[in-house]
Amino acid sequence: MSRASSSAAGSAAAAPGSDRLWDSPLGRRLLGLGIWSLVVALWEWLTQSGNAPDYLVAPSAIVVTLARLAADGELWTHMAASLFRVAIGLSVGAVAGTLIGLLAGVNRAVELYFDPIISLTYPVPKIAILPILMAWFGIGDLSKIVIIITAVFYPTFINSYYGAKGVALSHLRAALNMGASPWRVFWRVVFPASLPQILTGLRIALALSFIVLFAAEMIGARSGLGYLIIVAENNLRFDIMYASLLTIGIIGLAADRGLLALRQRLLAGRPDAGSRR
Amino acid sequence: MAQLEITGLRQEFGRAGRTVVAIGGFDLAVEEGEFVALVGPSGCGKTTLLHLVAGFETPTAGTVVLDGAPIRRPGPDRGMLFQDFALFPWRSVIGNVTWGLEVRGLPRAERERIAERYLDLVGLAAFRDAYPSELSGGMKQRVALARVLAFEPRILLMDEPFGSLDAQTRELMQDELTEIWQRAPLGRKTVLFVTHDIDEAIYLADRVILFTARPGRLKRIVAIDLPRPRAATVRKSPEYTAYRNLIWDLLREEVLMSRAPSA
Repeated sequence: MSRASSSAAGSAAAAPGSDRLWDSPLGRRLLGLGIWSLVVALWEWLTQSGNAPDYLVAPSAIVVTLARLAADGELWTHMAASLFRVAIGLSVGAVAGTLIGLLAGVNRAVELYFDPIISLTYPVPKIAILPILMAWFGIGDLSKIVIIITAVFYPTFINSYYGAKGVALSHLRAALNMGASPWRVFWRVVFPASLPQILTGLRIALALSFIVLFAAEMIGARSGLGYLIIVAENNLRFDIMYASLLTIGIIGLAADRGLLALRQRLLAGRPDAGSRR
Repeated sequence: MAQLEITGLRQEFGRAGRTVVAIGGFDLAVEEGEFVALVGPSGCGKTTLLHLVAGFETPTAGTVVLDGAPIRRPGPDRGMLFQDFALFPWRSVIGNVTWGLEVRGLPRAERERIAERYLDLVGLAAFRDAYPSELSGGMKQRVALARVLAFEPRILLMDEPFGSLDAQTRELMQDELTEIWQRAPLGRKTVLFVTHDIDEAIYLADRVILFTARPGRLKRIVAIDLPRPRAATVRKSPEYTAYRNLIWDLLREEVLMSRAPSA
């Protein structure tokens, strides 16, 4: 309210219509879009004029390659392989991490059991265990899925653990006072009370699962977008490398936006929802 | 036999390697339909006593017996109001009030019917779909009261329920609680009301239970013989002032004693 009136007062003092557009949300968005369009245009011009090295492929050429990869089905095959691994690994790892994290937050025995294991293994870069996982589970989907499970377990465990630890004592007491069983308290108080932090953990897990998956696919796989990048590199096909990277970026953006939309839906009306970002 | 019988109650806590005695031997009998205020210097164990009755803690020694059965765990026969309201922020107003009815396994339509009746009683029927974050402190405590009344406890436990409200809202809430408590549908439920506010205790209660400084023991029971139904005007009567002075002097002794260097 006060912001709107003060900005109205500000524009009244300045020349009418001068600094209005780029001060509005739409204007700021257009400005951002304009700057990036300029960069892409410059990039395009640089490559078309023949002044650019081979490894800088024109944006138009990347789009053409992407369209060709999509048309002959190669893109979809690799995308499906990557998405399948992420979907399984992320859901199994996130559900396990969240559940065990919540339990550790409310139960001292679970907490004491997991705390030293987590402290010991958390700092280990998960990609470093890929050779071992490949020795155990082969070069196929399973090693990728297991490494994603391992990677996403930590952020989901840690966030839900602190979420459960932070549940207000009076909320627990109010629930017990109404005759709730421990199980009901867990699902109807601890879980919803921790939901903002669970979703924060899930968002970190989503990003991590992509990072770990594409790294794993680049090291040892026979399909997937990470594998596509390595094959392209071996054949000096820079256009395919850029096209794969663009695809990865778009998938990541879509998944993250989807998760944010889910967060807004689940946390509607809650003052403890925290920032949306 | 009284509805609530507290006998030889003692509660100790281990804190930093030494034992703190919160309640050092306490006896009290509360009759059905009585409004009892628990008053004492801070740290005297009045909230601990309420938690023991609620079943949130287990006493070191002694018993709490409600309607002939010893209390061992929390349960909906005792409805608790908290100073911080303890409403669930992820649920709407009606969702908070129906929570306890879900525990009892009532069908949805019946839950909502009961909840709406009690929301109406506390004057918040229009806010059924609002979220707690959208309500003022006084409104939140009224929702919490509706939530507790909805599962029909035999006694009400109130832990400084108006302690976090501003002075004006607090007086309004006291009037409203008196009103609701005196009204028929509730049938004057037994209330244990913890407060540090002497005026609140006198205005609301039939008896004021004064605690000694820690370890908390029974210092004095002051029966408040003011006519009911009470209204705000009673605060201006000479009898009220006399009670106020009496309790204030008794409480002052204890506060001074708790501050004196221990021998």
